[in-house]
Amino acid sequence: MFKQYNKKHPSIMRISLLVGMLSTHSVFAEIAVIVNTSNSSTLDKTSIERIFMGKMKKFSNGLVALPLNAAKSMNSRDEFNKAVIGRSSSQVNAFWSKLVFTGKGNMPRELSSDAEIISTISSNQGAIGYIDSGSITGDVKVIAKF
Amino acid sequence: MKYFNKSLLTLLISSVCAPNFVSADVQISGFGSIVAGRTLDDVTLDNVGYDWSKPPSAENPPSITKEQILTADFYDVGQYNNDFSFKSETIFALQIVADMGDKLKVTGQIVAKGTDDFSPEFDWYYLTYQATDELTLMAGRRNIPMYYFSEYSEVGYAYPWMRPPSNLYWWQVTQFNGVHAMYEFSLGDFSNTVTFFYGNEYSNDNKEMEYYEVLYGGSPSAVNEYWTDIIGMNWNLSGDFFDVRFVYFQNDRDRDVIAQDGSIGDYTPFSQQFLGFGGTIDLSRFTFLFDWNLVTYDDAHGTEFPTYLISAVYNMDDFHPYISYSKADHKRDKRENTQDYEEHYMLSYGIRYDFNPSASFKIQYDTFVDEAVPESGWRYHGDSDTVTIGVDFIF
Repeated sequence: MFKQYNKKHPSIMRISLLVGMLSTHSVFAEIAVIVNTSNSSTLDKTSIERIFMGKMKKFSNGLVALPLNAAKSMNSRDEFNKAVIGRSSSQVNAFWSKLVFTGKGNMPRELSSDAEIISTISSNQGAIGYIDSGSITGDVKVIAKF
Repeated sequence: MKYFNKSLLTLLISSVCAPNFVSADVQISGFGSIVAGRTLDDVTLDNVGYDWSKPPSAENPPSITKEQILTADFYDVGQYNNDFSFKSETIFALQIVADMGDKLKVTGQIVAKGTDDFSPEFDWYYLTYQATDELTLMAGRRNIPMYYFSEYSEVGYAYPWMRPPSNLYWWQVTQFNGVHAMYEFSLGDFSNTVTFFYGNEYSNDNKEMEYYEVLYGGSPSAVNEYWTDIIGMNWNLSGDFFDVRFVYFQNDRDRDVIAQDGSIGDYTPFSQQFLGFGGTIDLSRFTFLFDWNLVTYDDAHGTEFPTYLISAVYNMDDFHPYISYSKADHKRDKRENTQDYEEHYMLSYGIRYDFNPSASFKIQYDTFVDEAVPESGWRYHGDSDTVTIGVDFIF
């Protein structure tokens, strides 16, 4: 019995460590993916990922997509990359460096605040971006939250 | 070529500096790597100057022992020896893209390499015309899309290792002047890009070929290498967790080995075919990378170079330990002895640490094993053990 207890002990530790790691994620703010209010397209997570990785260039309604990134210093950038792209910001940057330095693609334009992202999207029909859920306003349409 | 470079440089500098001269929207970005390393031991390898008409002796040794050499960059002859050096692979590149409107852009890359004593050169310069949403046309100087990693082989930040395995990326020509037509389309959830290309490369004063001429006892004033009528295609197919690429191209080959007295040595031109299939499979925890290639010459020997690479990377947050194995062989199908020529493999392992979203630290250990038969005259690389450390960055 004593032996069994000893065996179990490390796995409990491991589980609590895992729970700890998972819960760190939920501590971070929720990310809202936003588009222009006139954009009627529905997008699943994979489509959003493909737009931000340059693999899908148009919305389902034929409108040319203009993805917008948050600046490198903003937490939402890392959160979005992890939650939607499934990669770290470094891995996403490495992916883009292949395209940028061979002239085969342009990294999404960077904007330096949620307010700037909202105003750019509200004045561009095909624009798509992501912001901290707390920054949502009526000027844009939320299509997904992560 | 030099004149063209200078005038283009002047044009670009003036367009960046003189705002009243331009209406173009100019973007500047760049990449680089600061890498240092050394080989760790001595090696016994074939004496390439061995006189086969005489018996072996102290004056005419069939093999010699010297410090290990690792060629990390064949094209630029970037080599490591027993002295710790920053020069073999360190590189800094600036990319300037000027958008001239009406779907027309011009791109230039100014590259400074340790192997050239950091003297900057325009390595890439090309025009891009976005004909339609799907069709892109490019004209100018770019890398030949040979191996899977060829086009961005100098962007260290783009891949996990210190470099794409140099025992495969060994060609004396890596760039060309030409035209490309790139067509993008979707098949279900898969993105496709098919590119057709055509061009030529007249590589005067080819550094790699001059190095080998001298290694084999020659003293040329110059070696000019010509790859002409380079024509071929790439097909890139990518899904959410994979990206694969098929390549085929062919071209004519010729070479002028110019002696000190100006005479040109005999050389029989031939044509070559390049076939390849490579890719990346990304399973979040693990990334697998592979490339298989076959180069064939239609020469008198029936020369073939089958090569392949396999690599696995374990992704642990910002740490990416990896291992790679790359094998190169040289066969001569029309000769009695089809097998006993150049043959080597590289086993490399290391770790990439993304300490910053735009910079990564790498350390790599390479074991190069020269498998050519001793005293065949083809064991001229020699085994080596090399340690390199470096930082790759983009901006």
